[in-house]
Amino acid sequence: MLRLKRIIPMLMALLMLTLALYPGHGQANAQSALSADEKRTLTIGLSPDFAPYEFLMTVDGKSKVVGSDVMIAEEIAKDMGAELVIREMSFDSLIPALQSGRIDMIISGMTPTDERRQNVDFSDLYYTSRQVILTRSEDVDKYKTMDALQGEQIGVQTGSIQEEIANSIPDAQVTAVKTISDVVSLLSSDRVNAAVFEGPVAEAQVKNRPGIAIAEAVPEDSDTPMAIAVQKGNTELVNEINVTLERLRATNAVDGFIQQANELNSGETAPSNIFSFFWKYRGFYADGVKYTLLLSALGVLFGFLIGLLIALLRLSGVKILKWIAVTYIEVLRGTPMLVQLLIIHFGLASAFDIKFSVLQSGIITLSLNSSAYLAEIFRAGIQNVDKGQMEAARSLGMPRGMAMRTIIIPQAIKGVLPAIGNEFVVIIKESSIVSFIGVADLMFQANAVRTLTYSGLYPLVIAAGIYLVMTLILSKLLNVLERRLSAGDSR
Amino acid sequence: MPVIAVKNLQKSFGKNNVLRGIDTEIKKGEVVVVIGPSGSGKSTFLRCLNRLEDVTGGEILFEGQPITDKKHNIDKTREKMGMVFQQFNLFPHKSVLDNITLAPIKLQGLSKVEADKRAEALLQSVGLADKKNAYPAQLSGGQKQRIAIVRALAMQPHVMLFDEPTSALDPEMVGEVLDVMKKLAEDGMTMVIVTHEMGFAREVGDRIVFMDGGVIVEEGTPEEVFGAPKNVRTQDFLSKVL
Repeated sequence: MLRLKRIIPMLMALLMLTLALYPGHGQANAQSALSADEKRTLTIGLSPDFAPYEFLMTVDGKSKVVGSDVMIAEEIAKDMGAELVIREMSFDSLIPALQSGRIDMIISGMTPTDERRQNVDFSDLYYTSRQVILTRSEDVDKYKTMDALQGEQIGVQTGSIQEEIANSIPDAQVTAVKTISDVVSLLSSDRVNAAVFEGPVAEAQVKNRPGIAIAEAVPEDSDTPMAIAVQKGNTELVNEINVTLERLRATNAVDGFIQQANELNSGETAPSNIFSFFWKYRGFYADGVKYTLLLSALGVLFGFLIGLLIALLRLSGVKILKWIAVTYIEVLRGTPMLVQLLIIHFGLASAFDIKFSVLQSGIITLSLNSSAYLAEIFRAGIQNVDKGQMEAARSLGMPRGMAMRTIIIPQAIKGVLPAIGNEFVVIIKESSIVSFIGVADLMFQANAVRTLTYSGLYPLVIAAGIYLVMTLILSKLLNVLERRLSAGDSR
Repeated sequence: MPVIAVKNLQKSFGKNNVLRGIDTEIKKGEVVVVIGPSGSGKSTFLRCLNRLEDVTGGEILFEGQPITDKKHNIDKTREKMGMVFQQFNLFPHKSVLDNITLAPIKLQGLSKVEADKRAEALLQSVGLADKKNAYPAQLSGGQKQRIAIVRALAMQPHVMLFDEPTSALDPEMVGEVLDVMKKLAEDGMTMVIVTHEMGFAREVGDRIVFMDGGVIVEEGTPEEVFGAPKNVRTQDFLSKVL
């Protein structure tokens, strides 16, 4: 039975604990990097799906970010006497993360375009690569010149320099997706016929995936320089970075790093059997499940409490409170959760300097989103409780609040338990969107395994299987709870 | 001083004037039975007495206090006015014992042990001591209504209000509920009862109030009202129900 009085303080304590355990990492690191503390850290952001510049490798069953950019970053950190901290995220989250101070710099094969220069400052160039066109092996002769690509279906990574190149090809139909492995999947599944790639990245892909090849066509102006991005106006850091880059340039070190990284990236041979595949990468999935469970549990918990509160406001009979509740519900139900997530994580940070850690942002988004749906479920539940119940409780002298708490809400919740269960299942599944901002949940880890193994199917099938197992277990538990609560109905 | 004094009580739902000026007094230990055709306003009148319905006009004094006053804490007054409903309204998610002890524990600060003791004594008196761990869904209608009466009595009220307590019961269960009420009346409880049980009204009532059209048409002892009704509407009503 629901003992709200006892549960609420417990939940509050839990909330405090959660927030305390996960301080705004980026924020703390950014500050310590700027002040000349004795223990300085340098937090870099990168999108580790860009071999040989940055990519994931399994080391002792755990994933590790490696690549030539990482080696350069290590040199910079060494010269600064700082400890290097690496934050992985999707490529298009990098600049927002830098602007909101969660990371100190971006080193992720980023080209200093004019557009980007408006938002961030760049170091000197540290490497210039060329661009190539990747196609399926059997089509390789079709694309000898760039003219052959006109009106063609072309795949690229979202927010990348390659996307701009593709967009400049006349009549090209460009499909932009989040990761390099998604681009290659588009290509091998015939959804696009060509893709624009960074030269060394394309070579790494060709080496590791059968059936793709580099075409003869070369994009005009295809020399793509790379530089390190820092927050606008942070000339101090730019100068420090440039000193290191100058040193590396003098010895031609970057070419050596790329060579080294290419050797590292000889490709892991992933098992061809899905069970051995899962066993080999179980560490990734276990890490992911932990975050997914934590996020879902807290999301559901706070969603439950907030939802109940909103439902009560809606039914309070006070016009202004009702209006607030209805607006809250409509706004949260009527906008995509991804938009909410990005507003909470990046929007609040850049506009109001409120910097939640990725985990906090994830929990807050899931809680708010589920609370809107749960509020409507609770409202239906409360309205379905017989009017006589409230009258009987009031006639005994119970104040309205007490009658709600002890008589109406327990019955309401019992009545809508199946609907609440559905919402819980939805939350477990929807929690996967937090991987977008870099929470290392199950989906994030599945993507990491994909990048790591160049395998398009298994990592996702395994993730789907794990989600299914979690939701099935939850459904079973809810069935048990439902049976327990219906004790009073038995005859 | 009367326990309840009603002065020019009016109640309307929108344009529908259900009560159009009721004046009456209920004395300590008195059993008042309210009868009348359906739609006469008798249930509304009863529900106004503990303000389950907010009154539109007039005044109700409970033990001298104007409970219709906006500033009056009605919750405290309701603790002293037990109410029994036509549909029982037991709390289905709580056991019989919890149904009875909830309010005494939460509102009067009784310990669980004290409350249980009080509840068990009351259950004994209505012959349902063996049902204390049952849930409402496991009980018959008559048993439910007896539990509902016990639940109200557990608050040790000064007045008991009954809103058609036997109307939802199968005929064979009416007797067991009326017996409990009769015993309560004999013990000196002040009671206001809205009912269609004319035999019971005649036997147990100290005073019969006949309502029609939102006013008290006639009132008096059972002998006066049943034996020699003065008003035409009373005569008409009684000729139909007796």
